[in-house]
Amino acid sequence: MGEKADKREAEEPEVERDIVLDPRIQEAIGKSLKAHYDDLIKAPVPDRFLVLLAELEAKERKNGQ
Amino acid sequence: MASDEFREGLIAELSNLRAFAVSLCGSVQQADDLVQDTMLKAWGNSEKFQPGTSLRAWLFTILRNTYYSLYRKRGREVQDSDGTYAQRLTVSGEQESALDLADFRVALAKLSEEHREVLIMVGASGLSYEEAAEICGVAVGTIKSRVNRARAKLADLLGISSVDDIGPDRSTAAVIHQSPADMART
Repeated sequence: MGEKADKREAEEPEVERDIVLDPRIQEAIGKSLKAHYDDLIKAPVPDRFLVLLAELEAKERKNGQ
Repeated sequence: MASDEFREGLIAELSNLRAFAVSLCGSVQQADDLVQDTMLKAWGNSEKFQPGTSLRAWLFTILRNTYYSLYRKRGREVQDSDGTYAQRLTVSGEQESALDLADFRVALAKLSEEHREVLIMVGASGLSYEEAAEICGVAVGTIKSRVNRARAKLADLLGISSVDDIGPDRSTAAVIHQSPADMART
Protein backbone atom coordinates (compact mmCIF):
# COMPACT_ATOMS: atom_id res chain seq x y z
CA MET A 1 0.00 0.00 0.00
CA GLY A 2 1.15 3.53 -0.66
CA GLU A 3 3.43 2.64 -3.53
CA LYS A 4 1.52 4.84 -5.92
CA ALA A 5 1.08 7.72 -3.54
CA ASP A 6 3.83 9.87 -5.05
CA LYS A 7 2.42 10.12 -8.51
CA ARG A 8 -1.23 10.09 -7.58
CA GLU A 9 -1.98 13.72 -8.35
CA ALA A 10 -0.24 13.55 -11.70
CA GLU A 11 -2.26 10.51 -12.64
CA GLU A 12 -5.59 11.84 -11.68
CA PRO A 13 -6.26 15.52 -11.77
CA GLU A 14 -9.12 15.82 -9.33
CA VAL A 15 -10.87 18.96 -10.42
CA GLU A 16 -11.09 17.86 -14.01
CA ARG A 17 -14.61 16.82 -15.03
CA ASP A 18 -16.18 15.70 -11.83
CA ILE A 19 -19.55 14.55 -12.97
CA VAL A 20 -22.26 15.35 -10.50
CA LEU A 21 -25.26 13.12 -10.84
CA ASP A 22 -28.76 14.05 -9.83
CA PRO A 23 -29.23 13.25 -6.13
CA ARG A 24 -32.06 10.85 -6.95
CA ILE A 25 -29.83 8.85 -9.25
CA GLN A 26 -27.11 8.88 -6.63
CA GLU A 27 -29.63 7.60 -4.13
CA ALA A 28 -30.82 4.82 -6.44
CA ILE A 29 -27.24 3.70 -6.98
CA GLY A 30 -26.47 3.96 -3.28
CA LYS A 31 -29.44 1.78 -2.39
CA SER A 32 -28.52 -0.81 -4.98
CA LEU A 33 -24.93 -0.91 -3.78
CA LYS A 34 -26.13 -1.59 -0.26
CA ALA A 35 -28.63 -4.18 -1.45
CA HIS A 36 -25.87 -5.96 -3.38
CA TYR A 37 -23.51 -5.90 -0.42
CA ASP A 38 -26.08 -6.75 2.24
CA ASP A 39 -27.18 -9.72 0.20
CA LEU A 40 -23.60 -10.99 0.26
CA ILE A 41 -23.20 -10.25 3.97
CA LYS A 42 -26.26 -12.33 4.75
CA ALA A 43 -24.83 -15.42 3.08
CA PRO A 44 -23.63 -17.92 5.71
CA VAL A 45 -19.87 -17.98 6.23
CA PRO A 46 -18.52 -21.29 4.89
CA ASP A 47 -17.25 -23.75 7.52
CA ARG A 48 -13.86 -23.93 5.83
CA PHE A 49 -12.94 -20.56 7.31
CA LEU A 50 -13.74 -21.54 10.86
CA VAL A 51 -11.97 -24.86 10.36
CA LEU A 52 -8.94 -22.96 9.10
CA LEU A 53 -8.92 -20.71 12.16
CA ALA A 54 -9.18 -23.69 14.48
CA GLU A 55 -6.21 -25.28 12.69
CA LEU A 56 -4.16 -22.10 12.96
CA GLU A 57 -4.89 -21.91 16.66
CA ALA A 58 -4.05 -25.55 17.24
CA LYS A 59 -0.75 -25.10 15.43
CA GLU A 60 0.06 -22.05 17.52
CA ARG A 61 -0.71 -23.84 20.75
CA LYS A 62 1.48 -26.76 19.73
CA ASN A 63 4.40 -24.51 18.80
CA GLY A 64 3.96 -22.39 21.89
CA GLN A 65 4.54 -25.25 24.29
CA MET B 1 0.67 -15.12 18.76
CA ALA B 2 -2.77 -13.97 17.74
CA SER B 3 -4.87 -12.80 20.67
CA ASP B 4 -8.38 -14.00 21.38
CA GLU B 5 -9.58 -10.50 20.66
CA PHE B 6 -7.93 -10.57 17.25
CA ARG B 7 -9.43 -13.97 16.54
CA GLU B 8 -12.91 -12.81 17.51
CA GLY B 9 -12.50 -9.68 15.42
CA LEU B 10 -11.40 -11.70 12.43
CA ILE B 11 -14.40 -14.00 12.71
CA ALA B 12 -16.71 -11.01 12.98
CA GLU B 13 -15.25 -9.52 9.79
CA LEU B 14 -15.43 -12.71 7.69
CA SER B 15 -18.74 -11.88 6.06
CA ASN B 16 -17.48 -8.41 5.13
CA LEU B 17 -14.24 -9.83 3.77
CA ARG B 18 -16.23 -12.25 1.69
CA ALA B 19 -18.59 -9.59 0.38
CA PHE B 20 -15.64 -7.40 -0.63
CA ALA B 21 -13.86 -10.38 -2.21
CA VAL B 22 -16.90 -11.44 -4.24
CA SER B 23 -17.37 -7.86 -5.39
CA LEU B 24 -13.74 -7.68 -6.52
CA CYS B 25 -13.39 -11.14 -8.08
CA GLY B 26 -16.82 -11.60 -9.54
CA SER B 27 -16.59 -15.28 -8.67
CA VAL B 28 -17.60 -16.83 -5.39
CA GLN B 29 -15.10 -19.66 -5.59
CA GLN B 30 -12.19 -17.37 -6.27
CA ALA B 31 -13.43 -15.00 -3.60
CA ASP B 32 -13.35 -17.76 -1.01
CA ASP B 33 -9.76 -18.63 -1.93
CA LEU B 34 -8.92 -14.96 -1.62
CA VAL B 35 -10.55 -14.74 1.79
CA GLN B 36 -8.60 -17.80 2.93
CA ASP B 37 -5.29 -16.28 1.76
CA THR B 38 -6.22 -13.04 3.49
CA MET B 39 -6.94 -14.88 6.74
CA LEU B 40 -3.60 -16.68 6.63
CA LYS B 41 -1.73 -13.43 6.06
CA ALA B 42 -3.70 -11.59 8.70
CA TRP B 43 -3.10 -14.34 11.23
CA GLY B 44 0.63 -14.42 10.49
CA ASN B 45 0.87 -10.64 10.84
CA SER B 46 -1.56 -10.12 13.67
CA GLU B 47 1.07 -8.39 15.79
CA LYS B 48 1.22 -5.64 13.16
CA PHE B 49 -2.41 -4.72 13.68
CA GLN B 50 -2.76 -1.70 15.93
CA PRO B 51 -5.59 -2.19 18.39
CA GLY B 52 -7.96 0.75 18.34
CA THR B 53 -7.72 1.16 14.57
CA SER B 54 -10.23 -0.33 12.16
CA LEU B 55 -9.72 -4.06 11.78
CA ARG B 56 -11.97 -4.02 8.74
CA ALA B 57 -9.78 -1.45 6.99
CA TRP B 58 -6.65 -3.43 7.92
CA LEU B 59 -8.11 -6.69 6.60
CA PHE B 60 -9.44 -5.03 3.43
CA THR B 61 -5.93 -3.72 2.77
CA ILE B 62 -4.50 -7.23 2.96
CA LEU B 63 -7.28 -8.66 0.85
CA ARG B 64 -6.92 -5.98 -1.80
CA ASN B 65 -3.13 -6.28 -2.00
CA THR B 66 -3.43 -10.06 -2.27
CA TYR B 67 -6.02 -9.70 -5.00
CA TYR B 68 -3.92 -7.33 -7.09
CA SER B 69 -0.70 -9.29 -6.67
CA LEU B 70 -2.03 -12.82 -7.07
CA TYR B 71 -5.57 -13.02 -8.28
CA ARG B 72 -6.14 -10.48 -10.94
CA LYS B 73 -4.13 -12.24 -13.66
CA ARG B 74 -5.55 -15.59 -12.75
CA GLY B 75 -9.02 -14.14 -12.75
CA ARG B 76 -8.76 -12.63 -16.19
CA GLU B 77 -8.65 -16.05 -17.76
CA VAL B 78 -12.08 -16.79 -16.47
CA GLN B 79 -13.28 -13.22 -16.23
CA ASP B 80 -16.93 -13.09 -15.55
CA SER B 81 -17.40 -9.85 -17.39
CA ASP B 82 -21.05 -10.41 -18.09
CA GLY B 83 -21.71 -10.60 -14.41
CA THR B 84 -23.16 -14.08 -14.56
CA TYR B 85 -21.76 -14.64 -11.08
CA ALA B 86 -24.77 -12.76 -9.82
CA GLN B 87 -26.90 -15.79 -10.53
CA ARG B 88 -24.82 -18.01 -8.30
CA LEU B 89 -25.15 -15.77 -5.29
CA THR B 90 -27.87 -15.98 -2.75
CA VAL B 91 -31.05 -14.48 -4.02
CA SER B 92 -33.01 -12.80 -1.33
CA GLY B 93 -36.68 -12.28 -1.91
CA GLU B 94 -36.61 -8.73 -0.67
CA GLN B 95 -36.52 -5.98 -3.20
CA GLU B 96 -35.24 -3.00 -1.30
CA SER B 97 -33.54 -1.14 -4.07
CA ALA B 98 -34.96 0.96 -6.83
CA LEU B 99 -33.04 -0.96 -9.43
CA ASP B 100 -33.17 -4.63 -10.19
CA LEU B 101 -30.37 -6.33 -8.25
CA ALA B 102 -29.40 -8.71 -11.05
CA ASP B 103 -29.19 -5.84 -13.57
CA PHE B 104 -27.22 -3.82 -11.08
CA ARG B 105 -24.71 -6.64 -10.58
CA VAL B 106 -24.17 -7.05 -14.28
CA ALA B 107 -23.39 -3.34 -14.53
CA LEU B 108 -21.18 -3.40 -11.42
CA ALA B 109 -19.15 -6.26 -12.90
CA LYS B 110 -18.54 -4.21 -16.03
CA LEU B 111 -16.91 -1.37 -14.11
CA SER B 112 -13.14 -1.19 -13.86
CA GLU B 113 -11.74 -2.71 -10.68
CA GLU B 114 -10.62 0.72 -9.57
CA HIS B 115 -14.16 2.02 -9.77
CA ARG B 116 -15.79 -1.09 -8.37
CA GLU B 117 -13.60 -1.24 -5.30
CA VAL B 118 -14.19 2.38 -4.26
CA LEU B 119 -17.93 2.06 -4.66
CA ILE B 120 -17.99 -1.06 -2.52
CA MET B 121 -15.67 0.34 0.14
CA VAL B 122 -17.28 3.73 0.51
CA GLY B 123 -20.82 3.06 -0.67
CA ALA B 124 -21.49 -0.30 0.93
CA SER B 125 -18.95 -1.61 3.42
CA GLY B 126 -19.12 1.36 5.75
CA LEU B 127 -15.51 2.46 5.37
CA SER B 128 -14.78 6.19 5.35
CA TYR B 129 -13.24 8.05 2.44
CA GLU B 130 -10.11 8.40 4.57
CA GLU B 131 -9.91 4.66 5.21
CA ALA B 132 -10.50 3.89 1.54
CA ALA B 133 -7.75 6.36 0.61
CA GLU B 134 -5.34 4.65 2.96
CA ILE B 135 -6.28 1.20 1.69
CA CYS B 136 -5.72 2.25 -1.92
CA GLY B 137 -2.64 4.34 -1.15
CA VAL B 138 -4.02 7.49 -2.75
CA ALA B 139 -5.25 10.91 -1.60
CA VAL B 140 -8.75 11.34 -0.18
CA GLY B 141 -9.58 13.68 -3.07
CA THR B 142 -8.68 10.95 -5.51
CA ILE B 143 -11.10 8.57 -3.81
CA LYS B 144 -13.87 11.18 -3.94
CA SER B 145 -13.21 11.78 -7.57
CA ARG B 146 -13.16 8.05 -8.32
CA VAL B 147 -16.45 7.55 -6.51
CA ASN B 148 -18.07 10.29 -8.59
CA ARG B 149 -16.78 8.88 -11.82
CA ALA B 150 -17.67 5.34 -10.83
CA ARG B 151 -21.24 6.38 -10.06
CA ALA B 152 -21.53 8.23 -13.35
CA LYS B 153 -20.19 5.25 -15.24
CA LEU B 154 -22.56 2.93 -13.42
CA ALA B 155 -25.51 5.20 -14.17
CA ASP B 156 -24.46 5.13 -17.79
CA LEU B 157 -24.23 1.32 -17.86
CA LEU B 158 -27.63 1.08 -16.20
CA GLY B 159 -29.13 3.56 -18.59
CA ILE B 160 -30.21 5.88 -15.80
CA SER B 161 -28.18 8.95 -16.64
CA SER B 162 -31.31 11.07 -16.50
CA VAL B 163 -33.84 11.20 -13.66
CA ASP B 164 -36.59 10.24 -16.11
CA ASP B 165 -34.97 6.86 -16.44
CA ILE B 166 -35.57 5.92 -12.84
CA GLY B 167 -39.06 7.36 -13.00
CA PRO B 168 -41.58 7.80 -10.19
CA ASP B 169 -42.57 4.12 -10.14
CA ARG B 170 -39.10 2.84 -9.59
CA SER B 171 -38.22 5.37 -6.93
CA THR B 172 -41.45 4.57 -5.11
CA ALA B 173 -40.52 0.91 -5.15
CA ALA B 174 -37.46 1.81 -3.15
CA VAL B 175 -39.55 3.28 -0.38
CA ILE B 176 -42.51 0.94 -0.26
CA HIS B 177 -41.72 -2.71 0.25
CA GLN B 178 -43.52 -4.31 -2.60
CA SER B 179 -44.49 -7.91 -2.29
CA PRO B 180 -44.09 -10.09 -5.38
CA ALA B 181 -47.87 -10.14 -5.61
CA ASP B 182 -47.99 -6.36 -5.77
CA MET B 183 -45.38 -6.32 -8.46
CA ALA B 184 -47.29 -8.88 -10.50
CA ARG B 185 -50.37 -6.71 -10.39
CA THR B 186 -48.69 -3.69 -11.92
